[in-house]
Amino acid sequence: MYSKKIELKNASGLHARPASEFVAMAKQFECKVTVQRLDDEAAQPANAKSIIKILAQGLSVGTPIEIAADGPDEVEAVDKLFALVESKFGED
Amino acid sequence: MRILKGNPVSRGIALGKAYIYKAFKADVHESYFEAGKEDEFFEKYQDAVYSAENELNSIIDSMSEESPEKAKIFTAHVEILKDEEVAEGVKEMIYENRTMPDYAVDQIYTGFANLLEKAQDPLIAARAADLRDVRNRVLRILKGEKESNLSNLRESVIVVAHDLLPSDTATMDREHVLGIFTEVGGATSHTAILARSYKIPAILGVTDATKIVSNGDSVILDALAGKVLLEPEKETIKEYQEKLVEYIKEERETGQYLDRLPLVASGERYSIGLNIGGTDPDESFKYADFVGLFRTEFLYMNSDHLPTEQEQFDAYKKVLANAMGNPVTLRTLDIGGDKTLRYMTMPKEDNPFLGNRALRFCLDHPEMFKTQLRAALRASAFGPLQIMFPMVGTMDDIRAARAAVDEAKAELRMQGVAFDEKINIGIMIEIPSIAMIADMAAQEVDFASVGTNDLTQYLHAVDRMNPAITDYFQSMSPSMFRILGRIFAEFNKAGKPISVCGELAGDHLSALVMFGLGLRKFSMNAANIGRVKRTLSLFTLEEAEDIAKKAQSLNTEAEIIAYVKNEVDKRS
Repeated sequence: MYSKKIELKNASGLHARPASEFVAMAKQFECKVTVQRLDDEAAQPANAKSIIKILAQGLSVGTPIEIAADGPDEVEAVDKLFALVESKFGED
Repeated sequence: MRILKGNPVSRGIALGKAYIYKAFKADVHESYFEAGKEDEFFEKYQDAVYSAENELNSIIDSMSEESPEKAKIFTAHVEILKDEEVAEGVKEMIYENRTMPDYAVDQIYTGFANLLEKAQDPLIAARAADLRDVRNRVLRILKGEKESNLSNLRESVIVVAHDLLPSDTATMDREHVLGIFTEVGGATSHTAILARSYKIPAILGVTDATKIVSNGDSVILDALAGKVLLEPEKETIKEYQEKLVEYIKEERETGQYLDRLPLVASGERYSIGLNIGGTDPDESFKYADFVGLFRTEFLYMNSDHLPTEQEQFDAYKKVLANAMGNPVTLRTLDIGGDKTLRYMTMPKEDNPFLGNRALRFCLDHPEMFKTQLRAALRASAFGPLQIMFPMVGTMDDIRAARAAVDEAKAELRMQGVAFDEKINIGIMIEIPSIAMIADMAAQEVDFASVGTNDLTQYLHAVDRMNPAITDYFQSMSPSMFRILGRIFAEFNKAGKPISVCGELAGDHLSALVMFGLGLRKFSMNAANIGRVKRTLSLFTLEEAEDIAKKAQSLNTEAEIIAYVKNEVDKRS
């Protein structure tokens, strides 16, 4: 198990294109990957390989999230997804 | 001729023949299979997914060159189709519960669609339509039915449907679609967004459209007024053909004024408000300075129960978010008389417009009123909300309404619930008796807004629902402009904001006269913004004042209209 915390920085949050890119990247890894929002105590970790689950989280700009992975390539998965969020999905 | 009403989501006018489009309708029942056939049925599901993916890929291929934006919708559909959680869910139902694949697919997709629909963000909520679309595709394939869509229309038609799914609108043969009207859908639905982007006039929410209209019926779609005219007479057709030409010309000229600052020629700034009646976001919010009229009836009329405090609170909060920090004027329930609620018994009245309606009805139903006031007050903690009461006739009405607000405030305070203590409380001025004492009213309210339709109706004693006396309904009469001048002067003297949120504010000719009479806040439907901004930009303050003075002195409405129109035409 490996995880990192970050705040969403791109203006449109994790909707539409950014959400698709995030999920597509998560799917490249063998490990289980989840995203959990940290500003809502009731929030459960959501399967990062499911576009529907990610959309249902309603993650907008400024939302703090934790990206966690469990499996053989967990470190690479978390680091790459973290970098994708960090780069604002190319928005600006 | 018959007239149907709906919500115009994409402006324009269309004349043509109706084409009823019925999409595949999934007929799914709860059903299970016997043990031992799990693999067989799971394979059936996987085959359906495979075929669905092939269909989607061929749509994507055919579109990606011409309209890559629309192709993206179908790329998203592939994502949904192959979503891990969906696949897991369906597999589990087939293997654990021996659920028939069609029922499993229906359950899983519908569950997720409902989940997304609850999202705060309307863009995410709208994705629920994509889920339903993919579900229908899979169910249709499971049933062994062929794809049916609007991609191959032989002649130009006006499309009538219960609802259009993203795949219907995206593959639509738009060369042949003159207009669209459907029974369901809001301003952010796919149909609305696509209709706007294609510039196809569309009206959504036309109740029972597919039952009332038949294939080939002659139809006029007036997506400016939100009306569908069925089997119109010759004169009406001619009138609309002229309107259409005029509309196209207007659009070209006024469109460029939309995002200009609202200024008159001498530099004075006025403000533009928006009239809304729902929680849908709209690009027009960015052309307005405030929401001058937020009608709340939709919450009550589109429901099968009295809307709860939480339902109302959620809706009000959403509107505040849409308004992006601009003030929102919430009008409390304006119902009773002709507008009834199906879940409530309301006695039939002989004169509903003079009857127990709006504020009177609310004061008569204190618990119902309090629920709305509490919801509004709670929402005021999240943005600049102000409350406005309709159908105020006396100072007693103002005091009774304020007392109800104070009671709701006291309750919330006791319960420790946040709200804006300094929330503005205002009234609609639509009954002549309150207009006559505007000076007194201005002392006891924070603002007022004139509802010119009802003011005309009550000032001229003309039932505006009675088609036999429409000529008597004269909202640009000298009497109207005199009483309006008086209201504006009293409120301006008292230093209290006064706006007009009735039809007159959105009419560019009256707006000019009212500017001359001292009005600086005009609230209107989005469709009128460009035109009003354009006309007002042509005159200086002094010129507008002269025009207003002259208008008030003319004897008849016809003379006033002719005079002001001539002044405007001279400039444009």
